[in-house]
Amino acid sequence: MKIATSILLLCALLFAACQAPTIQRAPEFNGDLVAAGHRKIAQAPAHDKNRWRLITAIHALNLGQHDEARTLLTTAMPSAGQILQSDARTRLAQSLFSPENVKGFHGESHERAMGWFYRGMFYWMDGEPDNARACFRTAQLMDALAAQPKHRADWVLLDYLDGYITTKLGRGGGDALTRAQANAGTTALPDYNSKANVMVFLQFGFGPMKKTGGDVGEKIVYDGGHSQARAARITVGGRTLIAPAFDNLTFQASTRGNRAMDAILAKKAGIKKTGDLVGDIGVTAGAILASEPKTEGAGVALLGAGLAGKIIGGSTEPRADTRTWTNLPQHLSFAALQLPTGTHTAVIEFLDANGIALPDRQKNVSVTVQTGRDTVLFVSD
Amino acid sequence: MKHITTLFIGIALWVAVGCTNINSQHGPSVTELRPGERGFVAGLGIESQDLVTISEKMARGILGAEPISNAEGKPVVVLEPINNDTRFPIDKDIFLTRIRVALSKNAAGKISFVAREHMDKLEKERDLKISGQVTGGEKITGNKFKGADFILTGTFKAISSRGASGASDYVLYTFQLIDPDTSDIVWEDFHEIKKQGKDDVTYR
Repeated sequence: MKIATSILLLCALLFAACQAPTIQRAPEFNGDLVAAGHRKIAQAPAHDKNRWRLITAIHALNLGQHDEARTLLTTAMPSAGQILQSDARTRLAQSLFSPENVKGFHGESHERAMGWFYRGMFYWMDGEPDNARACFRTAQLMDALAAQPKHRADWVLLDYLDGYITTKLGRGGGDALTRAQANAGTTALPDYNSKANVMVFLQFGFGPMKKTGGDVGEKIVYDGGHSQARAARITVGGRTLIAPAFDNLTFQASTRGNRAMDAILAKKAGIKKTGDLVGDIGVTAGAILASEPKTEGAGVALLGAGLAGKIIGGSTEPRADTRTWTNLPQHLSFAALQLPTGTHTAVIEFLDANGIALPDRQKNVSVTVQTGRDTVLFVSD
Repeated sequence: MKHITTLFIGIALWVAVGCTNINSQHGPSVTELRPGERGFVAGLGIESQDLVTISEKMARGILGAEPISNAEGKPVVVLEPINNDTRFPIDKDIFLTRIRVALSKNAAGKISFVAREHMDKLEKERDLKISGQVTGGEKITGNKFKGADFILTGTFKAISSRGASGASDYVLYTFQLIDPDTSDIVWEDFHEIKKQGKDDVTYR
């Protein structure tokens, strides 16, 4: 009987050892972020490729490789209105013995909104402002499921740009501007200039990161992003204007509230915790009882039940999906300018919370203004 | 024995038919559908089946419109890009192109379209001819580019909502034929589609 007890204890030890974390090697890097991103896309499992496409798209965007960024975003994102359907991977994500991150990556609502925001910017670059507006509206709709009504569809810049484009297309964009201003709080948003022909999209800092929360990792918790820059000062053609921060991505991510998936993960967490508790009690009490000849039979039975509890608890995977679009910014900003046709140099300085220009962050950007279409610039700190 | 054989053949046929359901996600990896058919990746947006239905309806409407059916000679129609006021980015030319080809196919020479979108290339070609760098310049006397008798354009508007119970999109497609001399809307028609759906629970 002692042999049986030893085998059971050995099994318990083996199961515990099986949970040791796997060590992942750092990726190779030769200085080219886009090339490294493509390697990661190639190496990533199918359900995680889109995340690497999105990350690589922003590297490409920051490096001015707009065609590359546009293609990656288009490939990574479902079309507007596409229903994200159930498949083998989503069913696996809901199963007791798989973590959530086995499903295909589409990001959380703030990440989906950012994808549409960037796509809208590209449509505007391509001279299709109404398609850009369509993307900004879809982006805003991604945020419509926030738990608190006041946080639903409350991105300031998305409404502001919706109204701006509507105004430029000769219709009234006042309603969207009113919504944007209501969500902007004390930040005074610039009025629309229907004759503005240079649109400057700005972003600052590092966005929020997901990590697991809850007793057994069943919740997503956001590590707040960080940005020294709080505004940008643009000087061009003898004019200077301040572009305030319109949106804070940490705020948008953390005001999402509970997801439908959280209820499934909570159920899994309950099973895991119960299994672990039964296991702890069963194994401890069973080992004590099994050591006495009088209670040996009951002890072994309890040990078996405890082991079964441990197996169920150890095999249950309630971990939330913390895969993150890691290179999103903390703040979004925007400025519109009216410049004569030709080439200009814009000086862009990033300002801290006190309005002081941050050293080594100044950027000189060449702006080529054409007749009959808007020039769209993207500048990141 | 006869009954068993019949039953066996019946079941085999039923299984074979079931296996060839082209709309099944578990079927072949590539499936060719008619453009008017709704595929299994259908969503809430503007899709090929909407394009086919709407463009055919509008083409029929335009052909039956009084200014077209009673026009003397062949009226010249210019296509102007659609104003997209929805949340769906679209290829704005695709609807008008689809209507144009449907009209060209069914109008039997009643309507003439001009290729304004190629104006730069056309002007370049005309200038080459006039300058004698290529042949055909002798046939050009004055400006031969045609002006429009009518402008065909459209506007798409939408009401979109999203909540815990799913997402819904209503899109109103309107098309107008406008007389550019008077700004009169000489013909107008619309089509409306409402779709709703729900993402899988893991993405909500």
